[in-house]
Amino acid sequence: MSLPGSRTHRDSGSPAGHAALILTPCPAYTGPYGPSTLCHWGDVRTKQASVGIAAVVAGAAAAWLAAQRTFTPYQTAPAPLALLVGWSFIGSGLAACRVRPDNRLGKVMVLTGFAWFASFLTDADQSLLFSIGTAIQAVYLVGFVYLVLTFPSGRLQTGFERLLIWSGATLVTVVALASLLFSDSRSVLCSACPANAFEVTRNDVLASGLAQVERIGGVSLVLIALALIVARWSRASALQRRTVAPVVWAGGATLAAVVVSVMNDALGHPLGEVPKQVLFVALATLPVGMVFVLLQRRLARAAVAGLVVELGERKVATDLREALARALGDPSLEVTYWFPAGARYVDSDGRPVALPEPGAGRITTVIERGGQPIAALVHDRALEDNVELIDSVCAAAALTLENERLQAELRARLGELQASRARLVDATEAERRRIERDLHDGTQQRLVSVAMSLGLLDAKLPAEPDAAKPIAREARAALTAALEELRELSHGIHPAVLTERGLAAALEELADRAALPVHLELSIDARPPPRVEGAAYFVVSEALTNAVKHSHAGEVRVAASRERNRLIVEVADDGIGGAAAEAGSGLRGLTDRVEALGGQLVVSSPPGRGTTVRAEIPCE
Amino acid sequence: MRIVLADDAVILRDGLARLLAEAGFEVAGVAADADELLALVEQLRPDVAIVDIRMPPTHTDEGLRAAKTIRQQWPETGVLVLSQHVRASYALELLSDGTDGIGYLLKERVSDLAELASSVERIGHGGSALDPIVVEQLVGRPRRSDDPLEHLTEREHDVLALMAEGRSNKAIAQQLFVTEHTVEKHVKSILGTLRLPQSPDDHRRVLAVLTYLHSR
Repeated sequence: MSLPGSRTHRDSGSPAGHAALILTPCPAYTGPYGPSTLCHWGDVRTKQASVGIAAVVAGAAAAWLAAQRTFTPYQTAPAPLALLVGWSFIGSGLAACRVRPDNRLGKVMVLTGFAWFASFLTDADQSLLFSIGTAIQAVYLVGFVYLVLTFPSGRLQTGFERLLIWSGATLVTVVALASLLFSDSRSVLCSACPANAFEVTRNDVLASGLAQVERIGGVSLVLIALALIVARWSRASALQRRTVAPVVWAGGATLAAVVVSVMNDALGHPLGEVPKQVLFVALATLPVGMVFVLLQRRLARAAVAGLVVELGERKVATDLREALARALGDPSLEVTYWFPAGARYVDSDGRPVALPEPGAGRITTVIERGGQPIAALVHDRALEDNVELIDSVCAAAALTLENERLQAELRARLGELQASRARLVDATEAERRRIERDLHDGTQQRLVSVAMSLGLLDAKLPAEPDAAKPIAREARAALTAALEELRELSHGIHPAVLTERGLAAALEELADRAALPVHLELSIDARPPPRVEGAAYFVVSEALTNAVKHSHAGEVRVAASRERNRLIVEVADDGIGGAAAEAGSGLRGLTDRVEALGGQLVVSSPPGRGTTVRAEIPCE
Repeated sequence: MRIVLADDAVILRDGLARLLAEAGFEVAGVAADADELLALVEQLRPDVAIVDIRMPPTHTDEGLRAAKTIRQQWPETGVLVLSQHVRASYALELLSDGTDGIGYLLKERVSDLAELASSVERIGHGGSALDPIVVEQLVGRPRRSDDPLEHLTEREHDVLALMAEGRSNKAIAQQLFVTEHTVEKHVKSILGTLRLPQSPDDHRRVLAVLTYLHSR
């Protein structure tokens, strides 16, 4: 049984950089039942048949042993219960191997069944067989605990679980055998028992001490296993509880019955034979419960066929989510789509979605197609144990998901387009406001002061011609300043040289006026359209301004060239780097402006290795 | 006549102070923003406060709001609002509580010192001064065919505009080179045509005319 926290996520190193994703590449998918070679009995039909025959023989032998026994040292099960438990394990194990050939559970169930039959050797009225049976009579319990602990994955997940199983295995073999080495069977076990074939030297203290170690250790291990199951159950999601409930109840009840039965033995059978009988019946239910759960899962995978039909009739994206949620049995399923241009996942409306952090309680499964991620399913932890179901659903829905992803990508692009258009409008608005402020606070004010001076002049001139001279000088100075400001302002709006002489001349002028040494590399043979020249000019202008302000650079290289009908401008400094396109609204605005022309602006600024701003703009 | 003026630009504040001094006004105090201005007005109780419309901290309409505050709290102080651009809507907002002692002029009107002085005088005496551009915006609106303004003669239009600017009959007569009596006849005819109450009071008729022009 595998409940939350019991599974280590495989680090897939997915392109999205999420550490805890299960990668499910659809094209590598091999069919809903997986490769059959993984079933450890080779050719399935022959091997299963031989296992079946062996089970019948072993069962018959055990039943005969149980029926003919003349002494009762261990209160073993009566013949019908012996067959019920043993065949239940072996039969369920074979069934599990068919349903889940790649899973170890079936094999362990079969082995547990045979170990169960082997424990009836204690009923043999023959010294060696009796002694072997006595040594290994509790081995089946280790198999049982293993099954309960590892269901449904069939794998031990933690070092603690491994320690638990290995300790149990040591107790029921090594310690049990060691105890026999010092036991005289007739005095220690029962007076009617056959002789102990393994006796080396009789030491009653050592023998009973080792037997106590086995008993107390065994009960402790069972209690720990019970505690593990209870802890997992309390942390499990609703879906997980639903899927493993039969196994948890059967396993928990059996382990509890083991404890009660051992206590009953130790206390001199105050409850008589009842706990033993309950334990045997409970034992038989576990494998049935396991097969039931595994079969349910297989049925769920069969429901994928229904999904395929449903996807064919599907109308809108929410239907896809619901169809997948139904097929996976997880109503909380979220479907997100990969948006390559934004290097992130988006929902079906194209809005950015944050995938859950590793360990956040929900699992993300990335679905790939042709090596590219197309979608990510965010689902309950319970599905993590059912990779085959996810595989089948993924195979069935991959094409539809890819279609849906294209739709989502379209919506995401549309959203980005609208956002960048809004930003362009905002930027234009802000620019106009700035120009109005500059005009209001600068030029207009100076002109008003000129008007004032002229008014004063008008009033003074007839009476005091001498006082008029400085006033006229003031007026001229204010007018000159106003003209200067106006020139600066109009240059900021659109440099005259760009209109008159083109980008190359404008960049030369920009380089001349820059506060840093600029190395120019220009190869522009034909003038690009004015809007392209304008955008390129402002990219260089902004990048130079940033280099001067923030980069601590010693030199800047500005390159502009026309290649294959694209204008490429690049500004690279040798400064400290570490600039981000999102950080400065100046760069963001330039990106929008360049993208509006169908171009691309890339800022590369590794810390300590300078900043390079590169724009490619089509000259259509 | 005592003046207080407020403008955040030193160059304009000083220039205006010089001009007003030249014209014979007493500049009692200058302020760089609306709060400073209100404090000065409370303290000095000048005859006229001259206010730039756009001042710190938001550089929007601080001057306009300060002007309304002054008119409400210290009615004996007239207010002249100066701006680099004028809007009819601002004018009507300014005049909504009454046209007494209110002026709204473009900044560049300061180049005509005599005209500026007469406007400040008028406001100081409880009159009004509205920039010709505002009046033009109001009178020059597209008219419907049944608009009574259609029935005014060209000369009556001129008189109406000067009335709206807040000028007295005497000032209008001087401007148009006619006798005051002729102006009175025109005014009577205009008010009759527009069905406005005949009022001998120059100040009150300004509001009537403006309200009429605005509600058209």
